[in-house]
Amino acid sequence: MTTDRRTDDAGGFDDSLLDALFAEARDEAPAPLAQAFEARLVTAALAAQPGAMAPRPGWLARFRAMLADVGGAPSLAGMGVAGLAGIWIGFAAPGSTSDLVTTFWQGAASVSPSVSDWAPATSGETLALGELLTLIGDETQ
Amino acid sequence: MPRDTTERMTAPESESLSDDALLGRYAAGDASAARVLVDRLAPRILRLATRLLQDRAEAEDVTQEALLRLWQIAPRWEAGGAQPSTWLHRVAVNLATDRLRRRRGVDFDSIDEPDDPAPAAVETMIDDDRRRALDQALAALPERQRVAVVLRHLEGLTNPEIGAAMGIGVEAVESLTARGKRRLAQLLEGRRDELGYDR
Repeated sequence: MTTDRRTDDAGGFDDSLLDALFAEARDEAPAPLAQAFEARLVTAALAAQPGAMAPRPGWLARFRAMLADVGGAPSLAGMGVAGLAGIWIGFAAPGSTSDLVTTFWQGAASVSPSVSDWAPATSGETLALGELLTLIGDETQ
Repeated sequence: MPRDTTERMTAPESESLSDDALLGRYAAGDASAARVLVDRLAPRILRLATRLLQDRAEAEDVTQEALLRLWQIAPRWEAGGAQPSTWLHRVAVNLATDRLRRRRGVDFDSIDEPDDPAPAAVETMIDDDRRRALDQALAALPERQRVAVVLRHLEGLTNPEIGAAMGIGVEAVESLTARGKRRLAQLLEGRRDELGYDR
């Protein structure tokens, strides 16, 4: 560049010295990147890569996602109680179901109303088939 | 092509490939090609951007943005044409000069160059390393002179290319470069012996 050649010799640092400095600077290898910046660049490169797939989540992320599907952390309490109850039942071997119910609700079987308690007041009376059909017929008319 | 169907390169293999070929591998989904290209190209871009902007954080942003544009164009890159490194330098220069324009708030070419700062700015330099001396002297230059000198003498751009990047004419580029060099000589005055140059 011709214009540059007009540069004055300024106090002993002339064009030739400047050109030598420039040449050294051009040839010198640049400093390596800081590790964090390099990682940032590589991450950006991979994110922009054609066909890039989202990285497979780790086991913890997958567990959290599964937990969220069943109601999050609070659901663990219910699941825990149910699990403990199952273990207790396994160890206690309570036998038949009726025994188990009795264990939980003492005397519950004795307070259950019998079928006869629910029967209508006409319980015990015998209706002839003909009378029954007549009654039904009257109701439907 | 999905990434997981792409054959991975070994480190020695990737090191031997050209930037062109690596960019093709990157576009085909090879993650290792991206790492090699970052290692090869980014340090020079960062140094260029730092020299132009004199701000490390902004220089990193420019480097990241320039590389992002390279990744985006990778699938359409024509092998055997321009070198990725050359293309990337041009992009970085444009991004950096755009930032300098925004910094000024008006057109890059519309403000008169300020008076040259006093040589005392460099007198405080105590490092005798030539590279650092040059970088410090460049940092002390008025902005447009610095950009013109860096692009012309350190990046090897032609005057028309510099003019296009800076949005100014070729004559203005020549003037800025000449004034910049003259100013650099003044800033480095008296350090000839210190920098190891024999008289």
